[in-house]
Amino acid sequence: MSHNNALLDFENVHVKVEDKEIVKGVSLTIHPGEVHAIMGKNGSGKSSLSNALAGHPAYEVSSGTAFLDGKNLLKMSADERSRAGLFLAFQYPVVIPGVTVANFMRTALKAHRGQDADMSDFRKLFRAEMKELGVSPDFATRYLNDGFSGGEKKRIEILQMAMLKPKIAILDETDSGLDIDALKKVAEGINRFHSDQTGILMVTHYQRLLDYVKPDFVHVMIGGRLVKSGGPELALKLEDRGYEWVEAEMSQGSGK
Amino acid sequence: MNIKDSKYIIPDSTPELELGPDWLKERRRSARHNFNEQPLPHRGIHLWRYTDPNDLIAFTHKAIDDVVDYNIPNEARKNGVIVTSLTKAIESHLELVEPHLYQLVNSESGKLEAENSTLWRNGTFVYVPNKVTISDPIHLTHHIGKDTSSVFPRTLVVVGKQSEITLIDEYEGGPETEENGHAHINGAIEIVGMEASNTRYISLQRLSHATRMYQTHRARTDKSATMLTIPLAFGGSLTKQNFGVLLDGAEAESRIYGLLFGSGHQHFDNHTLHHHAHGETNSDIDIKVVLKDKAVSAYTGLIRIEQETRNCEAYQTNRNLLLNPGTRAETIPELEILNENVSCSHGATIGSIDPLDIFFLNSRGIPTPEAVRMIVTGFFASTLKQVPEDLRERINVFVAERLEGV
Repeated sequence: MSHNNALLDFENVHVKVEDKEIVKGVSLTIHPGEVHAIMGKNGSGKSSLSNALAGHPAYEVSSGTAFLDGKNLLKMSADERSRAGLFLAFQYPVVIPGVTVANFMRTALKAHRGQDADMSDFRKLFRAEMKELGVSPDFATRYLNDGFSGGEKKRIEILQMAMLKPKIAILDETDSGLDIDALKKVAEGINRFHSDQTGILMVTHYQRLLDYVKPDFVHVMIGGRLVKSGGPELALKLEDRGYEWVEAEMSQGSGK
Repeated sequence: MNIKDSKYIIPDSTPELELGPDWLKERRRSARHNFNEQPLPHRGIHLWRYTDPNDLIAFTHKAIDDVVDYNIPNEARKNGVIVTSLTKAIESHLELVEPHLYQLVNSESGKLEAENSTLWRNGTFVYVPNKVTISDPIHLTHHIGKDTSSVFPRTLVVVGKQSEITLIDEYEGGPETEENGHAHINGAIEIVGMEASNTRYISLQRLSHATRMYQTHRARTDKSATMLTIPLAFGGSLTKQNFGVLLDGAEAESRIYGLLFGSGHQHFDNHTLHHHAHGETNSDIDIKVVLKDKAVSAYTGLIRIEQETRNCEAYQTNRNLLLNPGTRAETIPELEILNENVSCSHGATIGSIDPLDIFFLNSRGIPTPEAVRMIVTGFFASTLKQVPEDLRERINVFVAERLEGV
């Protein structure tokens, strides 16, 4: 069942990778205007959840339900999910040799708008977004992520999000590999994108990005489960004290 | 098979033996002798490991003319560039032809080269005088008929000192099905790049799937000359092409940047040769192969650097992208480097498209067929950067057509 007016709503989602269960029953509802953060250590299953929601073929949702703006997400292919309004910013964006950023972006936008759509505004839109993100115009003719630094790759991910205007954006470790200036630019881009019509799910190990993109809800993921939820103060506590105290709470059976 | 089978003997009554002036008739007769006396290439040697020479010997030695259209830019005509048939050039410009004809590809080169050397009929001659730069390409289109036939194209290109040209050499046509037999092409191409010249030679093969092609290309680059060779192959049922450049003067440079896209049951067998016959020369090869359906490709690349030719640089790369199981690619680098004072490397890859790349493009809304098209076009992009823009657009259309239904 989908909650009324939820943008992303999933319940009891289990994810398997090569027959091994990594995500063990996770539920979350994101309404328009909300920013959620899932925090957890490496290997907690948070990236697997992100990939599975975006339709990565190696991540199988073995049970559970997931709805995107009321539509059954799990019945859609990865490209359909994108066109329906889901965006995943990759932790490790892939390199596509020989395909320029501009060509890639135009093709993606055209796929979103429909094959017969008018694309005459593309160049203007693209240049404006590049400028906002502080991306040099010569990136337009460079091959996608080919030889880009970590920070450049992440900015280009945010550029894609800004151009495609998804309803819900999942940002998988978008802060990793960024210096403080790049982090600020990326955060600005996320904040500019976010409105009362959109939802954001940030998946991160560290509190860093949350200083700039303020979450409404923070969830802690341990061992493939969301074990604790709270407000922004929870992220600060995790930053300060690490994850051990949550684990300790769990082992005492008072995790929820 | 019986080697005395008529297929392997060019008869004395062959009309081509009477074509041209006496010296040419003599060359044809001696080429015929070489063809008739030579055994078929041995399958054990590298060049013939992947293709049966029986399939490439013409089933009939009744040759027909090579029908060629010439598209010559005005600036070329104005500057004294000659594009005509070899037979006409022998009548009108013998002094330009005779020093070069049969110098690089002749009846000593091999049995099939002897066949071409005997049986070529009209041929094509391109001559660029010294110090002429032509920016638009000269475009030759060889039209192969719809009926079963044997054609023996022979092309001689001479680029004068300090001149610069682009030559597109396109092969198209052939029967649509093999029902009534296939068309057979055995071609020879000789290109001479004189001192400080700059030649870009683009071979575009888009023959029907009922056409077999054997082709030997040899180019010579003199001192300070550069030669860029771009073999682009899409067609043919069985294609064996051999591209070779002799680096024959200090600071001569050769690059061979090729691509092929095989589908259906197409069979490609490519060989490249970079022969560094002079010191201070450099060469680079990058051959890209994409295969789908049941297509197969073999690539062998030989770099030869002589003992006395020092300070050479030679690089070679062959990349193969297999779009589905059932395709097959072989890649064999061969280095004959007879001195240590060289810089040389080679590399080869065979693989399929990474599913993560597809997922990434999918995750941006791009459906899988379009994602595959982007990745394949991207794979070819650095090669196609080297060809004129309108040709690049045509090639991208061929690539898109090939990818329908993937």
